[in-house]
Amino acid sequence: MLVKAAWGVAGGVFVLWAAATLTFFGLRLIPGDPAQAVLGGPGSQASAEALAAVRAEYGLDQPVWVQYLRYLGRLGTGDLGSSYSLRQPVAEIIGAQIGGTLLLAALSLAVAWVIALGLAVWSTRGGRVAAAVGSALEIVAAAVPHFWLAMVLVLVFSTTLRWLPAVSTPGPAGLVLPVLTLALPLAGFLGQVMRESVLDALEAPFVLSARARGESEGGVRWRHVLRHGALPGIALSGWAFGWLISGAVVVETIFARPGLGRTLLNAVQLRDVPLVVGVVLVVALGYVVVTVLTDAVSRIADPRLRSAS
Amino acid sequence: MPTPVPARRLTAIASLVTASALVLAGCSAAAPEASAPATPVSGGTLTYATGFGEPTCLDPHVGGNMPQALVGTNVLESLFSQDETGAIVPWLASGATVSDDGLTVDVALRDGISFTDGTPFDADAVVANIEHMQDPDTASSTAILALGKVASVEAADPLTARFHLSEPDSALQESLAQTWLAMESPAGLARGMDANCAGPIGTGPFVFSEWVKQDHVLLTRNDDYTSSPAGAAHEGPAYLDEIVWRFIPDPATRFAALQSGEVDVIDEMQPADVVAASAEGSGFGVLTGALPGASIRLELNSGYAPFDDERVRKAFIKSADVNPGIQSLFFGTVDRSYSVLSSSTPYGASFESEYAIDADEANRLLDEAGWTSRDADGYRTKDGERLTVDFPISTNQSIPAEVSLFEQIKETTKAVGFDVELHPLDLSSWYGALAAWDFGVTSAIYTKNSPDVLRILYHSDNIQPAPSGYHPNHSHVSIPELDAALTEAGETSDPAEREALYEEAQRILAEGAYVLPLYDHLSKIGYSDRVQGLSLLPTLQIPYFGDAWIAG
Repeated sequence: MLVKAAWGVAGGVFVLWAAATLTFFGLRLIPGDPAQAVLGGPGSQASAEALAAVRAEYGLDQPVWVQYLRYLGRLGTGDLGSSYSLRQPVAEIIGAQIGGTLLLAALSLAVAWVIALGLAVWSTRGGRVAAAVGSALEIVAAAVPHFWLAMVLVLVFSTTLRWLPAVSTPGPAGLVLPVLTLALPLAGFLGQVMRESVLDALEAPFVLSARARGESEGGVRWRHVLRHGALPGIALSGWAFGWLISGAVVVETIFARPGLGRTLLNAVQLRDVPLVVGVVLVVALGYVVVTVLTDAVSRIADPRLRSAS
Repeated sequence: MPTPVPARRLTAIASLVTASALVLAGCSAAAPEASAPATPVSGGTLTYATGFGEPTCLDPHVGGNMPQALVGTNVLESLFSQDETGAIVPWLASGATVSDDGLTVDVALRDGISFTDGTPFDADAVVANIEHMQDPDTASSTAILALGKVASVEAADPLTARFHLSEPDSALQESLAQTWLAMESPAGLARGMDANCAGPIGTGPFVFSEWVKQDHVLLTRNDDYTSSPAGAAHEGPAYLDEIVWRFIPDPATRFAALQSGEVDVIDEMQPADVVAASAEGSGFGVLTGALPGASIRLELNSGYAPFDDERVRKAFIKSADVNPGIQSLFFGTVDRSYSVLSSSTPYGASFESEYAIDADEANRLLDEAGWTSRDADGYRTKDGERLTVDFPISTNQSIPAEVSLFEQIKETTKAVGFDVELHPLDLSSWYGALAAWDFGVTSAIYTKNSPDVLRILYHSDNIQPAPSGYHPNHSHVSIPELDAALTEAGETSDPAEREALYEEAQRILAEGAYVLPLYDHLSKIGYSDRVQGLSLLPTLQIPYFGDAWIAG
């Protein structure tokens, strides 16, 4: 058990190191000068002295591998460094922005689950037509790009009906459209795998034996089939977390919501290496944590996994 | 020169009348009882949504870009301003005297003005500001460049700042009119960069009072305001209690937020939205003004093949049929320009005949230049090489309609055998391609409130990259007569002489087919009918809120 946990931690550390390293070098492969990010953005006509001063201040005049090792050394002590463009500690910036993004992601995941479960139960119960309609809805929802869905929702609910604000406002009303934009496609994905799994379960011997024991139809569905049907959905939720964060880049930009996604987009455009790596690391850490959590939840939902360990 | 909607007045009523006839019609159709100019009402909060992005520092001395100027203009004021013809008018300064040799400029200052922290505005403050801009630690790029000829500044007396120049500079007062060279409280500057970036202190009608990153900047009224710019509709404090300055990057969301009433004023409108908001009874109005500096134009890279051959450049210009595209893609919201200078910049000269479309002549020129054979796809070739023109496009600077126009240019020039390859790039990559001269043609924005922008863009000195790798002379133009005309125009202060020299410079550029002017770079501000008294400050066409108020 202890060995297993140690391997888990080592795996997590490896993921974080790989994410930091890939991002660090990836940003150097694309054109752009981080020193200019400090001096008012790309295309600035900064003087040689100003550029030299900035390069020395941030260590950009050192060879790349020296910069990399120094950076890793600092990361090892938990120091994410300072943003080139915002002139603020990266940890401070992320701390200020992470709440909004986590709230958005968590609510979207919850809403997606509710929609997907409802759709799976309804469409497996309602016969052929319901199955066809459910399947079609899921495919359409899963295929819709975020930016398109966001614009349609704004057009319908803000511009035409005027029910909801088009841009984020403090308070729950401003969250509705961003959450729906992220939740609907995700519900499509989750619904597809869950419905398949529910259909499989309905054919499975344990359902037959439950029925033979005299379990009611509702009892069969809620106690046995749904638990089975939810398993791939739970497994998929780890993946969904990463997917929601990438969706947050689009959604936060369109709805003008403060958050990590918008921070990341601006940082990439300015080649703000410490800030990009910082956000990537935090997201990778979140991914690791969520994966561990979904493992645990799977064990609770699926007795077979418990007996196996 | 054509100006689409001539709206560069500062008076509230005049701006409403001239902004566009449609707007006025819209007002009276929507609310007939409110059609008479009402008395301004004090109070209320106005929400502004910008698409220009969020500054990383609110002090425009640091770096120096458009987002900083936009949010800063209503807080930080300049020594000079400009009227709608581009002529210099005093602001915090009361006038300037230039010595006979042009090397000493005495700037007289208005008496009795204070910064909002109580620090008096005087010659010592001007000295502190200029020194702050020129200090390498400030990391200025725009202000320091504009002050390139300023050797030092001293306080000759409490209300006279004496500028010592290394060579005469006819654009000095224009430079000092820009928000990037605005006057800030010396006590504020002394707080250090981090504090000053979070809230520089000026003399303007509003003060920075809060900055929630990625969300908004809050501007609140300066109740002791006394320094209204020339042409303002009223003296004294502003009417609005506060302005919430929001950052909404997506243009469709921005317009939706205006339509649903969540925001009152937006910038960077898309052409179709301009048409919708200008429509009678829409409940909205549009203010447009041509940003000063260079027009939006294609720069042909004459330093490298294939555009190092003048005949190939001419063939490109004679086959790039842009007028139908401008008409259809911009819905009549912009007019074609035949001048390298914006219509709001003095001394612009149009050379329409140089840009006439003539496919036969283009074909003849290409044959003459040796691009005689065509490959299987119909593109011309020479020595087995295709006539390819790489066109990096900055997706940050070019709006979708503009990108579509570039696609039409690709199609029309294909008829005579050009293979124009469009490369949409993010800002850093785009600057990277330009710095490496890795392009045949490109479109770049350059905003500067002076015809001296021609020297920056087309003097051969500026082929050499700045230390940051940026070279403003994208056309790689290097002509001794052009250099001479531009240098001389920058030094003389005789208007007639300046005009003749700038016209000569623009003639050389047009006849040599280095540039294809397209249209003015427009500032497009949409506002709700509730907002009254809104105007654009002519210097950089930035909205001025000192006279704005919200009608019941």
